[in-house]
Amino acid sequence: MKESQLRLLMFLQDLLCLKKEIQDFQVVEKYEEMGFALDKKERIEEAIKEVTEQLDPVLYQRFLRISKKYDRPLAPLKNGVCYGCFVSAPTGSKLVTQAKDVIEFCNYCGRIMYRIS
Amino acid sequence: MDLKELFDHYNVSLDLKANNKDDILLELIGLLKLEEKAKEMLFKMLKKRENLGSTGIGKGFAIPHCRSLVVDKLNVAFGRHRQGVDFNSIDGKPAQFFFLIVAPPIEISNYYLPVLGKVAQFCKTPDIDSKLQKLGKVEDFLELINKA
Repeated sequence: MKESQLRLLMFLQDLLCLKKEIQDFQVVEKYEEMGFALDKKERIEEAIKEVTEQLDPVLYQRFLRISKKYDRPLAPLKNGVCYGCFVSAPTGSKLVTQAKDVIEFCNYCGRIMYRIS
Repeated sequence: MDLKELFDHYNVSLDLKANNKDDILLELIGLLKLEEKAKEMLFKMLKKRENLGSTGIGKGFAIPHCRSLVVDKLNVAFGRHRQGVDFNSIDGKPAQFFFLIVAPPIEISNYYLPVLGKVAQFCKTPDIDSKLQKLGKVEDFLELINKA
């Protein structure tokens, strides 16, 4: 089944977070002390490419633009509030009222919002 | 945070049925209270993490872990497989004991790495594998983790 664009964006942000983590020397050192092998780190680029290729190019460009402003361009929406800027989403927002897989941007900070059950 | 605070009856299984790496991951994810879509995304993320290097740390232990947007707090699960499953562990031996650790990218308390460290340390406790092997019920596991 084709993955929704929102879920692809969420997956992309998770991968970018993982990439940042494995580029941090101190974190990698901790992982190695714990006994984890991170011998194929370069594969993260393939994984990111795989996801970006499935994204709508316009949406991906917007994601990149938001990334320049914020470290994490996606923010959870909880109780109708964007947890990126803590401003309420409009009451008519589809993300608030029903659908979970719709792309909506926070009116205040511009982040892409997602909902966790 | 103590490990005992993280485990409960619902996230411990002493009888994993799966017989390959992917199915073990799915079975562990199934122990977490998540929606189907979230489970699918988490599985994909754990697979990508495994692709960078196996989380099988040897001596029968594996600690699959990742950060993911699909969870809003630290989630853990423990599973035991009687015979052991090939998990591409660093020592090449099958893994029998699995700790799944999943956290959101941002946690105020930042427990992810410390908990991961504690679990890794727990797995290095002398004779812990034989103790885990002998466990008869989930309560015994909870008692064992209480003492850790």
